[in-house]
Amino acid sequence: MTLTDEQVSTDLTSRFRVSDRMYPYLLITPAMIVVGFFALYPLGYAVYLSLRHADLTTAMGIGEFLGLENYHFVLNDEFFWSAVRKTLIFSIGAVAIELTLGMAIALLLNGMRFLKGIARSLIILPIAVSPLAVGLIWRYMYHADFGIFNAIVSTFGIPEQNWLGDPGLAMASIIAFDVWQWTPFVALIFLAGLQSVPSQVYEAGAIDGASFWQSFRYISVPMLSRAIIFVSLLRFIDAVRLYDSVFALTAGGPGTATEVLTFYIYRLGLRFFRVDLASTMSILFLYATIVIAGLALRRIMIQQSELAE
Amino acid sequence: MTTRIGASTTRTRVLESLRYVAIAVLIAIFLLPIVWMIATSFKQPTDILARPPVIFFTPTFENYRFAFGEADFGRFIVNTVVVALGSTTIVVIVGSLAAYSFARFNPGNGNFMFFILTTRMMPAIAVIIPLFVIFRDLGKTSIGDTLLLGLDQPGALIVAHTVFNLPFAIWLMHSFFQDVPRSLEQAALVDGSSRIKAFFRVAIPLASPGIAVTAIFSFFFSWNEFLFANVLTRDAAKTITVAVSGFQTQQGILWGPMAAAATVAVIPTLIFVLVLQRFIVRGLTMGAIK
Repeated sequence: MTLTDEQVSTDLTSRFRVSDRMYPYLLITPAMIVVGFFALYPLGYAVYLSLRHADLTTAMGIGEFLGLENYHFVLNDEFFWSAVRKTLIFSIGAVAIELTLGMAIALLLNGMRFLKGIARSLIILPIAVSPLAVGLIWRYMYHADFGIFNAIVSTFGIPEQNWLGDPGLAMASIIAFDVWQWTPFVALIFLAGLQSVPSQVYEAGAIDGASFWQSFRYISVPMLSRAIIFVSLLRFIDAVRLYDSVFALTAGGPGTATEVLTFYIYRLGLRFFRVDLASTMSILFLYATIVIAGLALRRIMIQQSELAE
Repeated sequence: MTTRIGASTTRTRVLESLRYVAIAVLIAIFLLPIVWMIATSFKQPTDILARPPVIFFTPTFENYRFAFGEADFGRFIVNTVVVALGSTTIVVIVGSLAAYSFARFNPGNGNFMFFILTTRMMPAIAVIIPLFVIFRDLGKTSIGDTLLLGLDQPGALIVAHTVFNLPFAIWLMHSFFQDVPRSLEQAALVDGSSRIKAFFRVAIPLASPGIAVTAIFSFFFSWNEFLFANVLTRDAAKTITVAVSGFQTQQGILWGPMAAAATVAVIPTLIFVLVLQRFIVRGLTMGAIK
């Protein structure tokens, strides 16, 4: 083995140089193995299943290679598209309400002169609770006969509703639960953003005669743009994956009124054991999530490079 | 002029008190389900099925007695703690090594970190069926059986939670390690300590508050997790969220015991938020605010 001049000149440290270069990789190896094996291998397996006929209820189990036939089937399955539509209705509805309400709450909290800490502590409590456990409590609260929501609305003269049993209302009821749980998170992030805006900026605006709305529109919103994009992205990615709240509140019903994509995949794969079709949908779902998240990430990067200029 | 100032302060005062009224209403709305859950857990069946709902009632411990007696909820708490502690231990060890490396050396120019973070966006449902099959087959091998990696065994759930926790934990600890001044470690290296010693004796102690927060986040992720637990466990390794959903029986939902179990499942997380709020706010808002 011949050494170059450069290597010879650093001969004393060369043994350490190599391990210096390897050291960072050595540290990340366990994490890469865990994520690689238990995240990538299952994904690869899902791709494999999506290309075959696989019905675990039959003796054959995982069967013949079908090429893209499952994809062709799923993309022409009206229940699949209906589940996609419900997922989007839920996600867009919930995230839009959470962003609006969250901003309003953040503005309310930010202007508080006393008791701000306590108010914030109490408002963020829903973030921590198990969506499944509290979702089941909401199911009780939504109950048409002895639920507290009907008692509340009837004191305001509104007729009692079958919140979870009415196909036209069930999705809105799930959205309301999600809004209850996640608006505090959105408010918390916007509040942190508002607090990081130097007060001089608002004072300068006030001297120039800016109204509340103007200082919100032209100071707060631009200063919070990073937080707004971040929280929309994070909430949207979480919202399309919702499962626990649907399980707790409606189990997809009444009929299929709230059968969102995750629930349809679950039912197909783990109730009817058509793991081929369930895997195909999972892959399409994952692909869509990555594309949406990737586009959003690119927007953030473009925006940041514009800010840097 | 004086009247204008007087009028505007009155107006400000009215607006200010409206702000507090609005906040009070919001707090009431956000707390109602939690308060209602706790109240229901102490109600007798007749009060639970009362129409209209009753606000004042004679409390009973019967629901808790049933949940911990017939329904054996204590066993599922133990299962959950085992899984949460197991997964958190692995996440903290594996995650802190990786987070430190990303914070100090940025291997692969951020590509590895980006790869790990993207798995955070992966829908759990996309891997749940393959994982179900993998663990079913692992449980039939002797190694898998020894490591309790089969279906309805804690090992399988620990692995599943670890994979889904790791990206967030690395992301969180990465920022805490970045706050540790490089110069302190360099000083240790100059004094002749090895790199691994510098990591354990300098970086780890200085980042320990952040590591503790990450551990708590990780613990409560496992504590609240439902989808994996529901698919990968049946009875022996069942966790609390699955057990709470188990109060939906053929005869209908046992609202009282379910509320009692849900209260037990929720109270630790509420305490965690109240006590460690400062850190949680930091953990949650990181990335949103520079």
